[in-house]
Amino acid sequence: MAGLKRRPGRYESWGLSLLGLGLFLGVWQVLAVGMTAGPQVLPAPLAVIETTRHLLVAPFAGHTLLGHLAASLQRFGLGFGLAALVGVPLGLAMGRFGWLDDLVTPLFEALRFVAPLAWVPFAVLWFGTGIGGPVMVIFAGAFPPCLVNAYRGARQVEARLVEAAQTLGAGPLRIIVEVLLPGALPAIVAGLRVAAGLAWQSLIGAELIVAGAGLGFVMVQAQSSLSPQIVMAAMAAVGLVGMLIDIALRRAEWAIRRQWDQLA
Amino acid sequence: MKDIRFDGVGKTFTTRGGAACVVLHDIDLTVQAREFVAVVGPSGSGKTTLLRMAAGLDQPSAGEVRVGGRRVTGPGPDRAVVFQHFALFPWKTVRQNIAFGLRCQGASRARQTVAVDRYLALMGLDDAADRYPSQLSGGMQQRVALARSYAIEPDVLLMDEPFGALDAQTRTVMQEELIRLSRQEPRTVLFITHAVEEAVYLADRVVVLAHDPGRLREIVDIGPTRAAEAWNTRPIHEVMELPSFTHLRTRLWRLLRDQIRPGN
Amino acid sequence: MLVVLGLWWTLTSGCGLIDPNRFPDPAETWAALQQILTPGYAGGTLVQQAWASTRLVLLGFAVAVTTGVPLGALMGLSRRAESLLNPAFLLLRPIPPLAWIPLAVVWLGLGDGAKILVIWIAAFVPCVINTWTGVRGADLTLVAAARVHGADPVRVLLEVILPGALPMIFTGLRLSLQACWTTLVAAELVGTLYGLGRVLDSAYRDVNPAMILVAMVTVGLLGAATTRLIAALERGLTPWQV
Repeated sequence: MAGLKRRPGRYESWGLSLLGLGLFLGVWQVLAVGMTAGPQVLPAPLAVIETTRHLLVAPFAGHTLLGHLAASLQRFGLGFGLAALVGVPLGLAMGRFGWLDDLVTPLFEALRFVAPLAWVPFAVLWFGTGIGGPVMVIFAGAFPPCLVNAYRGARQVEARLVEAAQTLGAGPLRIIVEVLLPGALPAIVAGLRVAAGLAWQSLIGAELIVAGAGLGFVMVQAQSSLSPQIVMAAMAAVGLVGMLIDIALRRAEWAIRRQWDQLA
Repeated sequence: MKDIRFDGVGKTFTTRGGAACVVLHDIDLTVQAREFVAVVGPSGSGKTTLLRMAAGLDQPSAGEVRVGGRRVTGPGPDRAVVFQHFALFPWKTVRQNIAFGLRCQGASRARQTVAVDRYLALMGLDDAADRYPSQLSGGMQQRVALARSYAIEPDVLLMDEPFGALDAQTRTVMQEELIRLSRQEPRTVLFITHAVEEAVYLADRVVVLAHDPGRLREIVDIGPTRAAEAWNTRPIHEVMELPSFTHLRTRLWRLLRDQIRPGN
Repeated sequence: MLVVLGLWWTLTSGCGLIDPNRFPDPAETWAALQQILTPGYAGGTLVQQAWASTRLVLLGFAVAVTTGVPLGALMGLSRRAESLLNPAFLLLRPIPPLAWIPLAVVWLGLGDGAKILVIWIAAFVPCVINTWTGVRGADLTLVAAARVHGADPVRVLLEVILPGALPMIFTGLRLSLQACWTTLVAAELVGTLYGLGRVLDSAYRDVNPAMILVAMVTVGLLGAATTRLIAALERGLTPWQV
């Protein structure tokens, strides 16, 4: 393919990227200004930045932007942490014990296709709208990748290592902690990264529907008061924080993978 | 010290098509306490299956295996296994690998240190104590695996082609080391190999298996010659040039060649 | 299956371990299923509600595939297009599709338009990324082989690069489809007149756990069915894969 061979130079590439960014922001600005309905429908980029700065100091829907962010992060941490604490050990144990695998897999397969957000009504019915309900929705989103990756990772650990541990007198718990866990670690961390993305996404969804604080709540409130610039400010915050979480976990994943590649 | 008894042991696998495949048929064999028995046979004669049943990693379909008079039902620390591909834990240092079995037994920190240091010295691994397996040569890795197995002070050592993955030079050195080790720390040993020279050099008795199905073909006694000519105290190249050695080797070769030649 | 049913019955009606206001027993669930099948619930029968949701998913998904796959292919083929488009993509990608729902509602109201927009956004990103990766990973030896046999660039694209990228593209489609269902349920819970999300929402307001369960199971079954459909399509289009 001609296009595959003609590789643009580094500066050209940078230039094109800058041009792309400029075009994107320019088109946005022009659209915002040119639209007859004005900032009510599409606020300009600068207006969004201005609104964000304003929200950092002035409370909206009960808290400042940082206050809402803290509420969201608390729920995220609880739901994600719980999913990892339950999903990873269960996945590893399923990789070790056939009967557990046979017991959990059908149930898990049946639940897999239920969208995490469809748990919202039950979550609220069981745990209320405060912390519990949203945490359960986040859990529903983050749990499957934790479980699946720990399970696959455990299955990929060489049978010889498990046998060696057995013949040296290791019990089931020790095999899981000292052989399967380290062996599956790269897969587990990759799963945690996927889980974190889904957890963050489910959190926003849950907060859109039920919550009295949090970034999703800000968006719904701004939607009802028809303030798209506040919606977009909250969207920017959601995107930024989600990206930071992803970058942090990606770093961890790379570090572990590199170290494990050296060991193997 | 315990002995190993195979009483009418057979092993049948069911293939995916549903056909039964007889791997071992009616094996009667006793390895006396402190005896070193090597098993040779063409590939497919079930050598490894024999060892795995003694280790408790596979269960016999017929007959039973007893170690020290007790029927084998699963792996246990009275029987250590040395695997062909070492099966060291890649995420543990040499020291941690050797200490693993002791920790499984709940040995005190102090006892672990003493035992680990002793086997590090015995195997010439002092300088490598804090390295990871991937930083060691194949020969060094197998030394660690041997040390790990000896460290739990098992009554029985089961070795599955332990030097099969090493180059010829390293192999010779390791064979000499093993003779030295078993002189200092005599154990009941069942040693699987496909190399006739190795079997003659190491064992008190050599068991020849026939294949299709795997069954006992002949047992060749080496012990008396070994004792009379003091093989264990002489360098390996010297032993291998003795007329008695070449005679035994040729005899075993003939037995094996009859197995491999088609129509026999 | 029988064990699950037995356990369910025992825990709910059998010994009353679980409060029926929290989780329904089998009899209630059966009654709820009957109710929504014939008279209907929340403004429609189960089939009507399920079709309302499925239609939106399929529409949004179709729009996402027809826009996302060509764009991904373009970015995979031309480094220039990649450099030009990547910044906007990087800016928008971290925003979860669900976060677009309020903006879509402000722009397009509570009708189908807003939902199709968010479903499109949800499915678009995995489509683009996987096509892009698949095309970028084209086997250069095969491309060279095709060219020495006299294939022109269009033929190389259609007969070598795209088929090679198909498995990757289908992985993207599967991810897209899951994202579609999640997004649709969320969008319908935020506000809608018809659809399974509406059923979930009404059932929640009426404290009718049996109906919640029926709606959840329907969502799960539809998700599984559409995923099966994609898998069947993949097998049909890439027969060389085992």
